[in-house]
Amino acid sequence: MNLHYEKVHAQTRRHFFGQAGLGFGSIALSQLLAAEQKPKFQIPAKAKSVIYLHMAGSPSQIDLFENKPALAKFHGKDCPEEYLKGKRFAFIKGTPKMMGPVFDYKKRGESGQWISDLLPGLSSVIDDVCVIRSMNTDQFNHSPAQLLLQTGNPLLGYPSMGSWVNYGLGSENKNLPGFVVLASGGKTPSAGKSLWGSGFLPTLYQGVQCRTDGGDPILYLSDPKGMNREARRKTLDALRDLNEYQHQHVGDPETLTRISQYELAYRMQMTVPEVMDISKEPQHILDLYGASPGHVSNIETAADPRRLYKGDDPTFANNCVLARRLVENGVRFVQLYDWGWDHHGSSPGESIDETLPIKCQQIDKAIAGLIKDLKQRGLFEETLIVWGGEFGRTPMMQNNVNATLKPGFYGRDHHPHAFTMWMAGAGIKPGAYGQTDDIGYYIGENPVGIRDLQATILHLLGLDPQRFSFAYQGLDQRLIGPTTDGKVVKGILA
Amino acid sequence: MRKAAFVLIHCLTAIAAQAEVDFNRDIRPILSANCFACHGPDEESREAKLRLDNAQGAKKAFEPKGDSEFLYRIETDDEDDLMPPPDSGHQLTKAEKKALKEWVAAGAPYEEHWAFQIPKKAKISGKGDAIDYFISKRLAEKGRSLSAQADRYALVRRVSLDLTGVPPTLAEADEFQKSGDFDKVVDRLLASEDFGEHWARMWLDLARYADTKGYEKDRPRTIWRYRDWVIDALNEDMPYHQFTVEQLAGDLLPNATNEQILATAFHRNTMENDEGGTDDEEFRVAAVKDRVDTTMQVWMGLTMGCAKCHTHKYDPISIEDYYSFYAYFNQTEDADRGAPVMATPTRAQDSEIVSLEAELKSLAVKPEGFREAFATWKGKFKDAPLWEPLRLADQKTKVVKIEQITDGTLRVIGELPEKDTWTLILELPSDEPVTALRIDALIKKAGGKWKDQNVALRELTGEWLEEGKEAQKIQFKNPRADFSQKGWEVAKAIDGSTEAGWAFSPKAAEPHAAVFDFAKPITGGKLRLTLEQEYGIGLTFESFRLSVSTHPTDWLSADLDLGLESVFQNKIFEPTKKVNARVTEVRKRLEQIRRVIPTTPIMRELAPGRQRVTKIHQRGSFLDQEGEVSARLPDIFGKLPEGAPANRLGVARWLTHPENPLTSRVMVNRIWARLFGVGIVETEEDFGTQGSVPTHPELLDWLAVDYREKGWSLKQLLKTIVLSKTYQQSSKITPDLLAADPRNRLLSRGSRFRLSAEMVRDQSLAASGLLTRKIGGPSVMPPQPSGIWKSTYSGDKWKNATGPDRYRRGVYTYLKRTSPYPSMTTFDAGSGEVCQIRRVRTNTPLQALITLNDTAFVEAAGALSSRMTDLAHGFRLVLIRPPSEQELGRLQKLLATMKEHYENDPSAAKELLTAAGLKEGDAAMVAVANVLLNLDETLMKP
Repeated sequence: MNLHYEKVHAQTRRHFFGQAGLGFGSIALSQLLAAEQKPKFQIPAKAKSVIYLHMAGSPSQIDLFENKPALAKFHGKDCPEEYLKGKRFAFIKGTPKMMGPVFDYKKRGESGQWISDLLPGLSSVIDDVCVIRSMNTDQFNHSPAQLLLQTGNPLLGYPSMGSWVNYGLGSENKNLPGFVVLASGGKTPSAGKSLWGSGFLPTLYQGVQCRTDGGDPILYLSDPKGMNREARRKTLDALRDLNEYQHQHVGDPETLTRISQYELAYRMQMTVPEVMDISKEPQHILDLYGASPGHVSNIETAADPRRLYKGDDPTFANNCVLARRLVENGVRFVQLYDWGWDHHGSSPGESIDETLPIKCQQIDKAIAGLIKDLKQRGLFEETLIVWGGEFGRTPMMQNNVNATLKPGFYGRDHHPHAFTMWMAGAGIKPGAYGQTDDIGYYIGENPVGIRDLQATILHLLGLDPQRFSFAYQGLDQRLIGPTTDGKVVKGILA
Repeated sequence: MRKAAFVLIHCLTAIAAQAEVDFNRDIRPILSANCFACHGPDEESREAKLRLDNAQGAKKAFEPKGDSEFLYRIETDDEDDLMPPPDSGHQLTKAEKKALKEWVAAGAPYEEHWAFQIPKKAKISGKGDAIDYFISKRLAEKGRSLSAQADRYALVRRVSLDLTGVPPTLAEADEFQKSGDFDKVVDRLLASEDFGEHWARMWLDLARYADTKGYEKDRPRTIWRYRDWVIDALNEDMPYHQFTVEQLAGDLLPNATNEQILATAFHRNTMENDEGGTDDEEFRVAAVKDRVDTTMQVWMGLTMGCAKCHTHKYDPISIEDYYSFYAYFNQTEDADRGAPVMATPTRAQDSEIVSLEAELKSLAVKPEGFREAFATWKGKFKDAPLWEPLRLADQKTKVVKIEQITDGTLRVIGELPEKDTWTLILELPSDEPVTALRIDALIKKAGGKWKDQNVALRELTGEWLEEGKEAQKIQFKNPRADFSQKGWEVAKAIDGSTEAGWAFSPKAAEPHAAVFDFAKPITGGKLRLTLEQEYGIGLTFESFRLSVSTHPTDWLSADLDLGLESVFQNKIFEPTKKVNARVTEVRKRLEQIRRVIPTTPIMRELAPGRQRVTKIHQRGSFLDQEGEVSARLPDIFGKLPEGAPANRLGVARWLTHPENPLTSRVMVNRIWARLFGVGIVETEEDFGTQGSVPTHPELLDWLAVDYREKGWSLKQLLKTIVLSKTYQQSSKITPDLLAADPRNRLLSRGSRFRLSAEMVRDQSLAASGLLTRKIGGPSVMPPQPSGIWKSTYSGDKWKNATGPDRYRRGVYTYLKRTSPYPSMTTFDAGSGEVCQIRRVRTNTPLQALITLNDTAFVEAAGALSSRMTDLAHGFRLVLIRPPSEQELGRLQKLLATMKEHYENDPSAAKELLTAAGLKEGDAAMVAVANVLLNLDETLMKP
């Protein structure tokens, strides 16, 4: 033990917090404050980590979760005036036709929840899941709605939920980032990398996008060609020695931090590819998810990715396996973005009747596999799983695309007033929460807003959503915003 | 001597006085942090009608004097009475309670928030440097003093990086090492063009500059001319008040120059949402709010953002204040749709245009004797003008009729047809052979059913009718026009196909002419012309003229100038004929330049009759507007200065008015922070009551006043600071210094901190000799890993630059908001989405991976390895100072190890050389150079 180092370290702990860092795991706010006082924002935690599955574009709740016989009765008829007056839509113009659920529903599991035929996998684990049918938001365009959901503000520049959690709790594994992002579906989501940016929090807490398509899993992780591990080690030895001379001469503790960051980088070069390598998983586990290691999606290179949509693209499934491995290795917040859920019906490639079933195939088995796998490993109880889009879709068809319903062109517009999400795992009581009206247009009971969802996630992680804040621009900034709107949804807690 | 003693005593009393309770230093921060949320400016959330954020409120609270209710509330054990309430999350410390008690005991004196008071220069005793005086004074209070001066190598590297963002050359460093003439070094750096490129980066963070529009589509936006405007303005040391006025309101200045209007692109850096189905008004409003917030942040260091939803809880800004101030910014034309934009030639383009136009003008001057010669020559053509209009004898049309008026002009009678074909019989002159036909398209009236002013002459055919003979088809050749639409070139009017023809969008609002030579000249008889104009949407001629010429065809151009004078000038008269070739060349060049002039979004005020009404957006929602407001400043700041107009220009004048308490303080603090790592007010973004208290308030005010008094000169301000002993201190940290001043807030030593993202890049390019020195131009794309850009819908591609653009300074790297250049953001650069007042500095393993492995740095290592003559030279190229024996020894050892390694593995050596961009070289030396570029000392300011 280098006593001098330890002493300097202790003296400048606050300094490190403000300006520097000691690896991914060791400088979370809670740990920093722990020695001095128990942070006021910390409460008992149910969840150790989060796997957030964001379906970018927003799937149709009417065709997956909302069995509405009354809506089916109106199918093909003009939408009543009362639902249109004073409302803003992204694309709907004039009077659209109502459109009932396109697929059949059955009651599933012991709880008897209605789930459409498109989600047999989820149906098989439905008794582990809490379906929230009364979500609502106030944004109805993709980019602002995604930002509101993930950063608490429809404008750009605010820290994402994962960054907040990373800032509050850090990573359990000091060789891995605390907040990892994985994308599938061929494109990054509408609002881009701002969705996992750290806003005004130090960049240390931003999401690290790991890539599964053959390149470096983390950018710049590979040494240049011709520099093998042995050569890299030799150069780093020299670098360390030279930096130590510098420290002896100048005495800046920051130099010691730098030495440790280079050593950590070196270790990451080993650990990250190991964790990221899902081919290490036995075949029966891969089969459970429908994963296929080493797959490079054609979608990524296609000019129009929709043309290549098939149910057999395993990218999302691969990401689910990876999410489990990351959580298992102590990563705090894993976020999966799957692109391709924006089914307006302007072509068969983005329609409810033809594309939604394909998208469901891509995710359904993988999600069921993820839940089953977490359960068999005892990780389900400490992992919170969240699934959903950024808003819902209208109970009406989108009439500016087609005046009448015809195959390949069934589509719905953006709908902020009511949509469905589900949560499962740590601290969640399985079942159903909230309801919409007969045609699924408005919330019937127990509305859950975006801020409520955020408050609930923080609460489950042991972070008091009201008190967990960061002083910036003269305010104690919070994920749930400055108002008192955000309330923990007690009704879904175990 | 006696005087000195007096000074000392004076200082001591000052210190003693300071030890007493100082409201702004000791009390306001406690009240602000713990009380204002419920007892502050916001009426809605104000509890018990108690207000502690202003003097009247506090006075009331303590009447009668020394009321103990306040003290009871902060000290009681009763949780119901305790203030702040336990569930608020706030709790007073013992020291805070003690301070509050002392304050109440002293009669609870109240002072206006320090930052809202006009700064004054405090008296300085002695002759020394003001900065050193204030810094030393504070150090002396703690029984300390300034550290010794840094050594010359460290100093020259530090000041070069600070002022220009790039290290000195070894020659420059050695010269200073010898001469010690620091003034000279500083003057050289301030005069260098690198200066503007470096400091522009700071300003571009504030301006939220980026090369794309943001949001979902995040399409490209051409606005780099604004970036270059900033660089030029800084290099020219444009005074800050002018810099401010031009960016906020350059368009409103009388006789605004193009450069002044270009400056207003500052506020056109706001994002625009091109996502399908979005409401343009919603995002226009978001942009205006961003302008309000950014203006306040950048110039006043205040956050108004909170007040757009509710009255500010800490600073005295109400929601009405917010929207009244917003009203100033709510009157520009832009509306989330790109426009208005302006052609903004670069300075090089501009000066070339000016000189070419001057040349044209001088070439147009007729030489002596021209007039006389022309008169003589013209005499020969008395009865034969260049073009003679043809008389209409008969016509056959499908829809409309054509009439001829006195000057020969033909025009449609009545409404324009949607489409038509006209066959016109025209009389030819009988005396001389006709050589060419000319069509003049005159400007169509706007209006009527068919609004398009374009004409589509899809096909033109001609026949010669001679008395008693069969009609003969006429062959036209050498078609030419003064202008043709792309894809509708005039030749297509005589190509035998109606697929396309002659048209002239986008210049349809101007007259045009086309000329067709006759393959065989004809004399006498009639001409039957058929004009096929069946395109639809009314693209037919409205009024036009058909003429023929009897002159040589090489005299006949399609220029709108019909005169013989130009023929004489260009074709006949020898002295001017020579000039003609040059005129053609100049015109061509002008056309070339004008085609590539970039356009830039700018601010433009709505016309008086079209100005918007501004209402308060309830809870910040633009859908819920109620209560009209008129444009004014927030109450706390009073009124615009006398004579200032009630618009953005007035706001800009107010910001830079000598009595504005904040603008100069905020700017000098910002500059201080860039040089010392932390501002005198640490919260650069918040000078309000929640912000941090200045560590050296008198110094801040002295600098603020001095800056203004010396004409708002950034270069002067920087010079004042870097010439101080405070700046020039050694950054060596002893355990004693670390214990006494852990964060160096007292400035007991030089500031040692990590270089910015751009400096890390620029330094390694400069040290390795790769850096391309070129000011301005479109943003560039240095290598980034493939697959980073995967924006929804956007087909834009990142194309790794080759050639000089691969090695430009970081400030020129293309910034896509939703996918910024990854190595920059990892080093804490922003994404340009919102105004970034300061960057946090982190130290992460991801940064190590970049400087070790990113192509840019590996290629720099390659170039450095080739450039260095030996290890010590390489070390100096990066760090300027010579290595110690110990350091050199370690590098030698590394080199030997790597040499052995690569001798045993020649294929790896070759691979590394290739990765480092070298065809040949020493792989072991590349590895050493890679280490040099990764040293802690390299990444830090010395």
